[in-house]
Amino acid sequence: MKARIIAVAVAVLVFVPAAYSAGKTTHGARKTKTQTTIVIYASGDVNVQNLWQNNIIPHFEKENPGIYVKFVFSPHGADDGTTLARIGAAVKGRHWPGIDLVDAGLVTTLALDGLDQPVSKATAPNIKKVNPALLTPVKGAAIPYRGSSVVLAYNSNYVKTPPKTLADLLAWIKANPGKFTYNSPNTGGSGYSFAETVVDSFISAADLKQMDNGYVPNLESDWNQGLQALHGLTKYVYQGVYPNGNAATLQLLAQGQIWIAPVWSDQSLSALASGQLGPNIKLTQISNPSFTGGAAYLGVPKTARHKKVLYRFVNYILSPEAQQMIVNVMSGFPAIDIKYMGSAIQQKFEDVSANTLRPTFSTKMGNDFKAQWQQTVP
Amino acid sequence: MVLPPVAVVAVFIGFPVGAAIAYTLGKTGGPNSTIALIAQRQHVAKHGVTFAAYREVLGNAHVRGDLWATVWVTLLTIAAVVVLSWAIGLYVRLSDTWIARTVSALSVIPLFIPVVIASYAILTFYAAQGFIKTLAYHVGWHSFPTLGYTMWAVVIGEVWVNVPFGVLMMSSGLNSVPNALIEAARDSGASLPQTIRAVLLPMNVIPTVIVATFTGIYVLGSFTVPYLTGPSAPNLMGVSMSQFFQSFNQPQQAEVMAMIVFVLAAGLGTIYVWANMRAAKRASQTS
Amino acid sequence: MSVVEQAAVLPAARPRPRPTARSVALRSLGVVFVLALLVFMVGPILWLALRAFSNVWPYPRFLPSDWTMKWWHSVFADKSLGHSIKLSFEFAPVVTVASAVICLPAAYAFSRFNFPGRRFLLVSLFATNAFPKIGLYISMAGVFYTFNLMGTFLGVVIVQLIGTVVFMTWIPTAAFSSIPRSLEEAARDAGAGPLRVFFRITFPLAAPGIFVAMILSFLASFDEAQGTFLVGIPNYITMPTEMYTLVLNYPEQAAAVFSILLAIPSVILMSLARKHVMGGRLAEGFQIR
Repeated sequence: MKARIIAVAVAVLVFVPAAYSAGKTTHGARKTKTQTTIVIYASGDVNVQNLWQNNIIPHFEKENPGIYVKFVFSPHGADDGTTLARIGAAVKGRHWPGIDLVDAGLVTTLALDGLDQPVSKATAPNIKKVNPALLTPVKGAAIPYRGSSVVLAYNSNYVKTPPKTLADLLAWIKANPGKFTYNSPNTGGSGYSFAETVVDSFISAADLKQMDNGYVPNLESDWNQGLQALHGLTKYVYQGVYPNGNAATLQLLAQGQIWIAPVWSDQSLSALASGQLGPNIKLTQISNPSFTGGAAYLGVPKTARHKKVLYRFVNYILSPEAQQMIVNVMSGFPAIDIKYMGSAIQQKFEDVSANTLRPTFSTKMGNDFKAQWQQTVP
Repeated sequence: MVLPPVAVVAVFIGFPVGAAIAYTLGKTGGPNSTIALIAQRQHVAKHGVTFAAYREVLGNAHVRGDLWATVWVTLLTIAAVVVLSWAIGLYVRLSDTWIARTVSALSVIPLFIPVVIASYAILTFYAAQGFIKTLAYHVGWHSFPTLGYTMWAVVIGEVWVNVPFGVLMMSSGLNSVPNALIEAARDSGASLPQTIRAVLLPMNVIPTVIVATFTGIYVLGSFTVPYLTGPSAPNLMGVSMSQFFQSFNQPQQAEVMAMIVFVLAAGLGTIYVWANMRAAKRASQTS
Repeated sequence: MSVVEQAAVLPAARPRPRPTARSVALRSLGVVFVLALLVFMVGPILWLALRAFSNVWPYPRFLPSDWTMKWWHSVFADKSLGHSIKLSFEFAPVVTVASAVICLPAAYAFSRFNFPGRRFLLVSLFATNAFPKIGLYISMAGVFYTFNLMGTFLGVVIVQLIGTVVFMTWIPTAAFSSIPRSLEEAARDAGAGPLRVFFRITFPLAAPGIFVAMILSFLASFDEAQGTFLVGIPNYITMPTEMYTLVLNYPEQAAAVFSILLAIPSVILMSLARKHVMGGRLAEGFQIR
């Protein structure tokens, strides 16, 4: 009797799912052997996923029959630590890390620790179209492929005249308790940018330049004043809580629970286009100082496979065609000089482009900054 | 016969744990060379070992805040889970009605819900626009506090996730008390509370200890529930551990925190082993 | 409260006592307890499930003001979802069976032979598992690379199996221990071979305990996310990972859709398992003898 129950249970466990999955799509099933497969890992929000999965990859695959690009996505970089562990162990032990191209914050760490393969003009000619200044902070071992900036989003139903400067914004936050928040810097770039911008306003230009270009832990005491100012804001932010991730801030904005927040320009423009954010949400930039922005980098782990095919893919990403997708699909900035792009784009980005955006702390400074924020502000 | 599972655990977990312990003491060679290459702000022992990483982490007032938060959330969760599982277990044991059976079925639901989903459910239920606030609003209690993103939400979430195991364990323990024993006590004139105290309680010390220790160990190591439902700071050690590891690129400090959590868990584990040994000794004396 | 209530529900069993103020109070306390428990345990899931169909839900309404099916479309539009669900349902049974094959002989040995270090091994199996894994991934990755297990089916099975070892040794150990040795000896005296004794006597008697262990292992393997991600990418991405993606991208609504989708297999599993899991074997399983 009991044995029969177990037999039934095993049958249910094995066959019901099989029958269920049989009715599903078989996407991801093994393709024929003649194909070359390269794997790309990306982390970020849904707009990054959409850019790769529905735009760049399908176009590249269509133009290059026989090449299959497998896409692995990690939301908000939730798996970045695991991926870094994997790539680090793989490169050290000269194994294939299972990933050939990385689009995530961890790329700059890989580049600085010598785990990335530098990509040159010889291997991907389009790299000459990229502003060389963007290659310096990563020792040439990572490829900038798009730019984005942080802007201020506000609900025009409640906010008639948005703040124009950082000082205005801070005054507004204090005058409207509970109507502003930013995500904690370690969970997303938009909140990070707000926090860094406040801190930057207390730092001399010379020190700031050093922090942007290298690792200077002895200058970190410069942050104290700004971090104290941020700490003073905690009682004015929504529920005194810093949400996890860029998307969480956008959602509070969409629900009308907060009225002003720092957001990624590309992400909020996509959200406006899809209706996730209503038309009452407007975007603006503040000045003195402005929010930071910068380039997103791609990296090739040293032990990646099929490098030749991989470089062809990287070259394609830096082509005007793919860069145009970045502009159209996710409202990002092109990474290549706009003189290579069509005239419509040239007009649109006349005064802003990835390399003229206000730069942000170098990776290691940024890590320390996130740690200090976490210890001082909430 | 014992070798296969022991070998699997020793190779794939035991060895990395050993490497991690060496790393927290400043040993950056061998299996730790990869992590040492990536990490920043690490303490390296030139020869011998160094406790600098432990000093740094324990000297950090915010980590200590997280530690205290972890300790009281753990204790509160243990207390709540023990009380709830006893109440449900007793109800099911003494009243074999369909209501009792429904209650027991309800209380094991969380076992089958993935923790991510559960955390979101808890968060939206107790959030600023959640059910509890809506209910409070309709009964006219407008100033009812929002529990979402507070430590209370974390406690609620941890209790919710751990109740099924507690209920299963307690009803399993209570079921092993023979009916005859309970009836004998009742027939000799003992009231229900007296019966519970004299018969059911002493026979279920071990299951209670098991519920308490396993719940405690789960809470100490948990990440998803506090990450999704808790405040920015202070939060549980599991959350700040992963921040040190992933966001601040300080894996050595993260592993020191893992060691602290492990020591706390080991403390709970010791109570559990001790209680078992005592019970085993008694059983062998009486038989 | 319960004896009073029992009497009220089963009037045939005992004469119904006259309702006193105390018994009424106790009964209503019981009802309040059950209602509160209902709200506490099921409320969050139901409240979330409603969101799967809600388009506009202004506060403070108990129900959404506008209903929609669009979240279902956005979840099913994710092309890799079907594949990852299928993978999860492939791994969980394989891991459960593999874990049983590896651990059951050990459990039998733990219960039948008193060898030196027996208790130490039982406890350390548990202790290594209680270590927080987040700091271990780099050295774990190193070990998996050394054995060429990264990105392989076997590697994923092993990383998921690690989390099931405790259940699979402890609970069956207790199940085997509860079978009197005299029963096996009697069968052997009657001329049955050792294998026959095991499969005809020992195994059927221990089956409920083993079944509980298998259910818990199945669930543990099904829920495992980070280790699977570490070892499995790029070939094996299972449902929990995919679920994180969707839940974090479309927070409440996609989580709501999932909570409904997952309720279906859960109900089946629960109705199958409840009687055994509740049956009194679990508490024994976690006692070290």
